[in-house]
Amino acid sequence: MQFLRSPGMNNSWFRNLTVGIAFFFTFLLFSSIGVLLFVLKPSEIISSLLSEEMFYSMKLSMLTSSASTFSVMCCSIPTAYALSRYSFPGKRMVKAVLGLPMAFPELVMGLALLLLFGHGFLGPYLEMAGIKVIFSKLGIVVAQFFVAFPYAVRVIYSTFEDINPRYEQVSRSFGYGEFETFRHVTLPMARSGLFASSVITFARCIGAFGAVLVLAGGSYMHTEVLPVTLYLNISYGNLEMAITSGILLMGIAFLAILSFERFEGGKL
Amino acid sequence: MSFLEIRDLCLDVGGFELSGIGLKAEKGDYLALIGPSGSGKSLILETIIGFYGLEKGRIILEGKDITDLPPDMRHISIVYQDHMLFPHMNVFENIAYALRKKVKDKKQIETEVKQVAEVLGISELLHRKPTTLSGGEKQRAALARSLVARPKLLLLDEPFSALDTRTREKLREMLKKAIADYSTTVLHVTHDFEDVWALANRVVVIRKGEVMQAGDPESVFKRPSPDFVAEFLGTNVLKGKVKALEGKLAVVEAEGLEIYSTDPAEPGEEVTVSIRPEEVILARETVESSARNILKGKVSGIFKKEHLVVVEVKMGSAEIKAVITPTSCEMLGLEPGREIYAVFKASNARIIR
Repeated sequence: MQFLRSPGMNNSWFRNLTVGIAFFFTFLLFSSIGVLLFVLKPSEIISSLLSEEMFYSMKLSMLTSSASTFSVMCCSIPTAYALSRYSFPGKRMVKAVLGLPMAFPELVMGLALLLLFGHGFLGPYLEMAGIKVIFSKLGIVVAQFFVAFPYAVRVIYSTFEDINPRYEQVSRSFGYGEFETFRHVTLPMARSGLFASSVITFARCIGAFGAVLVLAGGSYMHTEVLPVTLYLNISYGNLEMAITSGILLMGIAFLAILSFERFEGGKL
Repeated sequence: MSFLEIRDLCLDVGGFELSGIGLKAEKGDYLALIGPSGSGKSLILETIIGFYGLEKGRIILEGKDITDLPPDMRHISIVYQDHMLFPHMNVFENIAYALRKKVKDKKQIETEVKQVAEVLGISELLHRKPTTLSGGEKQRAALARSLVARPKLLLLDEPFSALDTRTREKLREMLKKAIADYSTTVLHVTHDFEDVWALANRVVVIRKGEVMQAGDPESVFKRPSPDFVAEFLGTNVLKGKVKALEGKLAVVEAEGLEIYSTDPAEPGEEVTVSIRPEEVILARETVESSARNILKGKVSGIFKKEHLVVVEVKMGSAEIKAVITPTSCEMLGLEPGREIYAVFKASNARIIR
């Protein structure tokens, strides 16, 4: 929306106040990021980057986040589509439950998952099938999945909502079934929104910490992903490693936000 | 049995209701559904195509009950006001998409797409993306896409209302030719009289989710039902013959009157002239003006319609209605039996065939 610019508006105290606050806190945020970048000498960063532990954790982070992003997308696209296009009994409840994890702490989420996959409920059955979720690499993926899933559903839902159902109707009228229409019309039209949401999902997965720590344990060189590396190394007092993993995470987040901003508007 | 029969269609979608709509159309009919906005016209179309499930009623196409068929089994196409061309495909792909389900042969698809593009004059645009087209071009592409599938029934949901007058006239011509080529039965929702005159052979008046009146355009507009007139004013319809051409004007002798029209016509042609009542000026004496039609008559009736006054003027066997404000009615001192002149421009006397 564009507001008319009246001459008196430019110097109103209210405008100055809001713009001032915007600048002040953006500056604080920016300088805190800057501090992170400039504390270490480049040689220290490079030697930390090349350490075996960092290499392990980077690789594990990439692998687990890719796997969980993939599974999140596979599940959130149908979920979001159902929520956007169909009405079914219990729809409100599904929506509310999906909204929950956004509000409640990741740590609690981890705890809940630990209990669910632990010895009380699903654990024994899964173990019989040879699947171990707790304190395993699979646990990382599961934790990341549940952290990122609700966000992905929300972004994809709004993407589908922006597509006029009449496009699908037109396609149906030419003899295409529901799934064919979804594949030929809805998915391609949602392309940029889907891309944006997979980027944001990846960023959330790679940054997921609380739930991962509780469910997968966060043990050295076993379930150690980047946020865990940061955490472990702070507790050892090994600041170089901690800061380097921080820089890596930040870099990934920054790239993600940049591409999200670029593609969310719909032009791909 | 009729080609298309809609029986007792009832539907309630969040505060809007269709109650007991009944429609009939024969093969090759061009049926116009006319009514003010919010009268449920579009809803009827979306029900016919299968967007909404019905509470009650039946839809029968070619003797087959299609009420419970999914939209992809109905062989009905639709063109919306906002064209709904798929933005990720170019015009060619959009049109071809409509064929792919029926025709597998690539060559044949290409031939048919080119053929329909020719009819609608979009051959040059086939490689363009919809976003780069003008409003009229988009609508032609959408029409092409719907026609190429050779649907049993084509639904048009105000396809021209977002276009300017000239584009609209051009498109009506093209549409007319195209549906003749493809011999399609059409249901056209509109609130524009011109659409009805130019295209339809039958008209159905819808108001507040109910059918008010149905018939051929002439009889519906000449004698609109009282409820209908509350929303629309109807129009004056006079039948006659083109007597001669006077420069660029056609002189039509209709029901004892001589009417000048700017619309193209051939001498000797049987035509119908339509004059909208709001375009007729009433005068107590002949006035020198740019209007070519000045007809003398007697006031035969005056009645109020909402905040306006409808005056009926009798001229021999013909009768012309005019709509004026209550103030003008008072100033002219109109009363039944009074002599009066009805004045209107030649460009407002539209020739219909």
